[in-house]
Amino acid sequence: MANAAQYDVIIIGSGPGGEVAAIRAAQLGLKTALIEKEAHLGGTCLNWGCIPTKALLESAKTYKKLQHATDLGFNVGTVTYDWERVMQRKQGIVDAQRKGLRFLMKKNKIDVHEGHGRLAGKGQVSVTTADGKVTKLTTRFALVATGSRIRTLPFAPTNGRTVINSDEILSFDRVPKSLCVIGGGVVGTEFASLYGRFGSQVTIIEMAPQILPSEDADSVKELVRQLKKQNITVETGTKLTAVEDKGDHALITTEGQKPRAFEVVLVSIGRAPVTEDIGLETAGIKTDRGFINVDSHYKTSADWVYAIGDVIPTPALAHTASAEGMHAVEVIAGHKPPVIDYSANPNAIYTAPEIASIGRTEQALKEAKVEYKVAQFPFAPMARAKIDDATEGFVKIIYEPKYRELLGVHIIGAKATEMIAEFSLGKILETTVDEIAHTIHPHPTISETIMEAAHVAMGGAIHL
Amino acid sequence: MQNDTTEVLMPLMGEGITEATLVKWLKQPGEQVRQEEPLLEVSTDKVDTEIPAPASGVLTEVFVRDGDTVAVNKVIAVIRSGAATGSTARSTPKPEAAAVPTKAAAPAAQAAAVPKVATAAVAPSAAAPLVTSGEKPRSSPLVRKMARAESIDLTQVPGTGLHGRITKRDVEAALASPVPATARAGVSSPAVSGLVTKRDGDRETLEGVPVRRERMSKMRTLIAEHMVRSVRTSPHVTTIFEIDMHQVTQVRAKAQAAFKAREGFGLTYTPFFVHAAVQAIKRFPIVNVSVDGDDILWKDQINIGVAVAIEQGLIVPVIRDAGTLNVFGIARRINDLATRARSKKLLPDEVQGGTFSITNPGMFGSLVSSPIINQPQVAILSIGAIIKRPVVINDLIGVRPLVQIGLTFDHRVVDGEGGARYLAYLKEVLENFDDSGL
Repeated sequence: MANAAQYDVIIIGSGPGGEVAAIRAAQLGLKTALIEKEAHLGGTCLNWGCIPTKALLESAKTYKKLQHATDLGFNVGTVTYDWERVMQRKQGIVDAQRKGLRFLMKKNKIDVHEGHGRLAGKGQVSVTTADGKVTKLTTRFALVATGSRIRTLPFAPTNGRTVINSDEILSFDRVPKSLCVIGGGVVGTEFASLYGRFGSQVTIIEMAPQILPSEDADSVKELVRQLKKQNITVETGTKLTAVEDKGDHALITTEGQKPRAFEVVLVSIGRAPVTEDIGLETAGIKTDRGFINVDSHYKTSADWVYAIGDVIPTPALAHTASAEGMHAVEVIAGHKPPVIDYSANPNAIYTAPEIASIGRTEQALKEAKVEYKVAQFPFAPMARAKIDDATEGFVKIIYEPKYRELLGVHIIGAKATEMIAEFSLGKILETTVDEIAHTIHPHPTISETIMEAAHVAMGGAIHL
Repeated sequence: MQNDTTEVLMPLMGEGITEATLVKWLKQPGEQVRQEEPLLEVSTDKVDTEIPAPASGVLTEVFVRDGDTVAVNKVIAVIRSGAATGSTARSTPKPEAAAVPTKAAAPAAQAAAVPKVATAAVAPSAAAPLVTSGEKPRSSPLVRKMARAESIDLTQVPGTGLHGRITKRDVEAALASPVPATARAGVSSPAVSGLVTKRDGDRETLEGVPVRRERMSKMRTLIAEHMVRSVRTSPHVTTIFEIDMHQVTQVRAKAQAAFKAREGFGLTYTPFFVHAAVQAIKRFPIVNVSVDGDDILWKDQINIGVAVAIEQGLIVPVIRDAGTLNVFGIARRINDLATRARSKKLLPDEVQGGTFSITNPGMFGSLVSSPIINQPQVAILSIGAIIKRPVVINDLIGVRPLVQIGLTFDHRVVDGEGGARYLAYLKEVLENFDDSGL
């Protein structure tokens, strides 16, 4: 005990994985330090991801709603927006959350070290500040939560004007007349849905046969139908061959087609784990295609190092990282949390309409030759959907026929991202479709579609 | 009128018992019953017993047929007090009554049939913690459905979920486990299953030998399962002492005539062995414990189970608080329990809560035996036949009635020395027995 370490755990990275892990660690009585190399705490989620994009999407939603306000009995003239103020509101929310995080660190007596954190041999972590000063910290455990960075397209370097990435678009000064989104993943599709609603002519170019490849084909088909109404064209199975900066616009070329001009091109082809230059080699930790391999308790090949979030090959989602982070520090603190069940891990896509899901898609089950049944119920007949002017959407429950265990749930429509939480809980508790059908849902709400879909599985919906 | 209806529930027969088989109705629908009058006979894993009527009136409806196995607390019949009669049995079993009569009498029914049970009756599997209450294990809707479909006893499945909740994965593990007997209720045999037999005409053969296949009785499968589990759970060690029964023989012979005249049954040697075992337990209580994971559970009572062979197999009625009884008291208790065991009148409580067991194969001529520990106990005493032999006493040869007594103990908690010291003291008690022990 004579040469006790300074910390029980040092967490590298303050994103939704690291920040939550730090607070939980402190709550469990661990002496905790958090290292962040960026100017602000919160990582991608708070600074360039979930939070600012959802703030902008809320403006887009309101804009759309105001345009249809006459339907609800209002006399409104032409609704216009002020992009600067839209951006200011977004920034205000981000700033408030950053402040909140600082407060939480202080409240929980977590030492925040600003600088570049690196593992530096067993039980040691170094912090290099912007001015090059290196501090060595000693610790019993380290948690790598360095997250991910934007993947770049070698032949389409961004320039901040005509070819930009998802970080840069968050401080872009205008809504471009035309926008080409390269990559129809979650990030690209959400930005398409945002700018489309603000009036951009948007084209999504996706190499795979469907945008949002990991989502159920039925949800995506419905989304694409809705996106068309928001000035968005979706091109799937399309290979990009060239991106050319032309000063005030960019030219993009896809295989077999002539070059097309767009005011702005957004490159959103995914994210890559940040695992270089964080001292993994000093702990003897190897990476596999950039990812750190961990056991079911997030321990790496080095006993004293844990890793969570986007640096490990699990779903790269903020809430997933948070759950993993809490789990890891609970293990470090000597607790025995149950292994995380990723089949209950929710996916949430904040397009209009929203898509949310847990578990497996129908196409994946088909491919794996798993026996399943589908029960689906649309929003349209529900009173609440009409009241909310949100009749587009459905709940699709895929279940195993013998015990009616939930295999996958796919919701598209208003409030889908809120409603999926019911299924996350249901899945964790190993609920079958029967219990969902027998759960009384409040009326009138859109959540009644969940109960109705369960009734479909039980032999018949009530309101269809 | 509703107040006059009493639902008869399948009573809780003991902790860990989730279902019981209805052997037969002793009353038929339409018949009058009096409260406390035997209404039906049921059989559980542990014991067969009669269930008294919870109320007086007319048995109007029965929902369960003879031979059906019913979960505890299910409505099995309705008794209506007052005049109205004439209802008949439904042809199909109906576990849940559609009407909503009062359940006020239900607790009374349970109280009548179930004496208070202090300790767990169900022996745990090696991995699971001891069942210390009658609560159902935490599980999930999916797990319960799977358990029903696969006939899995969830009390035997270790849970790995939050706070020990049994998850789908745990059930799958139990199903895949090489010894499914610990988890499967009733269905599977703990004996080696999956023997490859062949069909030879209309005969089944095993390795060329014609065989006749017979389903084990419920009791047999349970005994088999318990034995396999006990051997897996406890490292068994046996130590044997030779004991001179001269003193006991003398005392017994002197007391016999008066005892038989007074009690109506003979004074056997068994009460003396029980008495001596209890005295030795008082000195070495480590043989009277249970092991729960890394914990030892010390017991405040000395409850001696005495193995009784019955027609269908083996039952071990328990002499509760044997430490408070003298030899005659023990003799009376043993006679009562053994008689009722053979006539199937034991109450569930009377085969539970044993803390130490005694088996007496000496009755059948056995000299020495190595029994299997009755889980979750940690020791069992085996008594051989008492046989007169020449012995050397003070360099002279004399004839003495000798008995070989073995202690089989769980080496997790008792070492060779402890076992030997226990028997040495037991020997001392028996060899120096005098009238004052009666």
